Amino acid sequence: MAFATKRLGKELTKLHGSLPPGIELVSAEGFEEWLLDIKVLDANPLYLNQTYRLKFKFSPSYPIEPPEVTFVNTKDRPIPMHPHIYSNGIICLDLLGSQGWTPIQNVESICMSLQSMLTGNTKNERPEGDQLFVANNRRRPRDIDFYYHDNTV
Amino acid sequence: MVNAEQPPDPVRALEFKEKGNKCFQAGDYQGAEGFYTQAISHDPTNPLLYTNRAMALLKLSHYESVISDSLTALSLHPNNMKAHFQLAQAQIALHHEKDALESAKKAYELCMEEVMHGGKGATSLGPIMELVRRCRKEVWEGRERERTRTEKGLLGELVRDLEDRRDVEVQRLEGESAGEIQIEEVRQEYEGKIESLRGVFHRAGEVPRRRVPDWCIDDITFAVMDDPVVTKTGQSYDRSSIMEHLKRSPTDPLTREPLHVSDLRPNLALREACEEFLEENGWAVDW
Repeated sequence: MAFATKRLGKELTKLHGSLPPGIELVSAEGFEEWLLDIKVLDANPLYLNQTYRLKFKFSPSYPIEPPEVTFVNTKDRPIPMHPHIYSNGIICLDLLGSQGWTPIQNVESICMSLQSMLTGNTKNERPEGDQLFVANNRRRPRDIDFYYHDNTV
Repeated sequence: MVNAEQPPDPVRALEFKEKGNKCFQAGDYQGAEGFYTQAISHDPTNPLLYTNRAMALLKLSHYESVISDSLTALSLHPNNMKAHFQLAQAQIALHHEKDALESAKKAYELCMEEVMHGGKGATSLGPIMELVRRCRKEVWEGRERERTRTEKGLLGELVRDLEDRRDVEVQRLEGESAGEIQIEEVRQEYEGKIESLRGVFHRAGEVPRRRVPDWCIDDITFAVMDDPVVTKTGQSYDRSSIMEHLKRSPTDPLTREPLHVSDLRPNLALREACEEFLEENGWAVDW
């Protein structure tokens, strides 16, 4: 347990000190679940003037294990439209999976990756099979083997 | 130490040791200590019996006895990692910070050697490193306390000197029946000197802005590195954290190329730099 709390404590100190533009800490009570808001900074019409909420869930072995990161849908905070983001907020991004994760990633760098993932997107669509996936998935995001069929996105 | 009426009997000693271990596991440390003592009386040259007894004594907070048992174990087996570790724990409990730091570092070194040669001990590495850090911090805190105390004493001494000189001066003027205004001027002159002396000491004692430089930070734990090792990308990590990562995934954290424990090289210059930084900035041990 000490491993995750120490590192998260330090991340929190840094986040309170300074945050990159378009990223805001909403709540970080304890070291299990944090909420952050992100905005896309360029003029991409898909995400213009929108704020999205991210939920981070940390296991005791973070950052050796990746955190579970999902978009959450609340008032004024929709799930961004993207071919790698399911409508239930589950994100298909290799750096968040067991294979692509590395412990030098952190909350801030993940937020920035997600910002740039949105910035670069031009397709106003959900992943293939979104309805079916959302209806049937009971697994936790990190246990899902996403098929990265379109790495150009 | 061998009792004349009781020739060494390693087999009986092991029987007592087993009983001691059972008590220890059940949380009966007093009982464990008794059995280990009997084991030692049957085989006084087995270092393991001393480290086991020290383990029970540590739980009972009998630190002086832990130290003597650890030293006995070390005289029988100088590279006994456990003995160094227990010694360090007892020394820090008794506020012998500097000795504790030396013992903890020795334990870390031995443990690391064992792990790097494929032996067990990987689970001890974390707790030992934790202790090294704690000792380092306490050494620094002790030195800070000492420094503040000396400086406070020095300031007091200098203020008293100034006051004495002022009094001598005032007495002299009074003897010469100088005017009230002249005497008051002298008083104020010394008041000013004392004031600015306090100011100088105050500024010198101010804690400089606490910032940990990036070069000494481990990117995995975000803590200051104690034992940096470098990968072929040129990036350094603390040995304990990169090993933790490699257990899960044998890849370079930066490039995700294959990386194995045997590829790691100690970064000696960086280690010295980190150690020097921590010596000056003990607070950074757990910033």
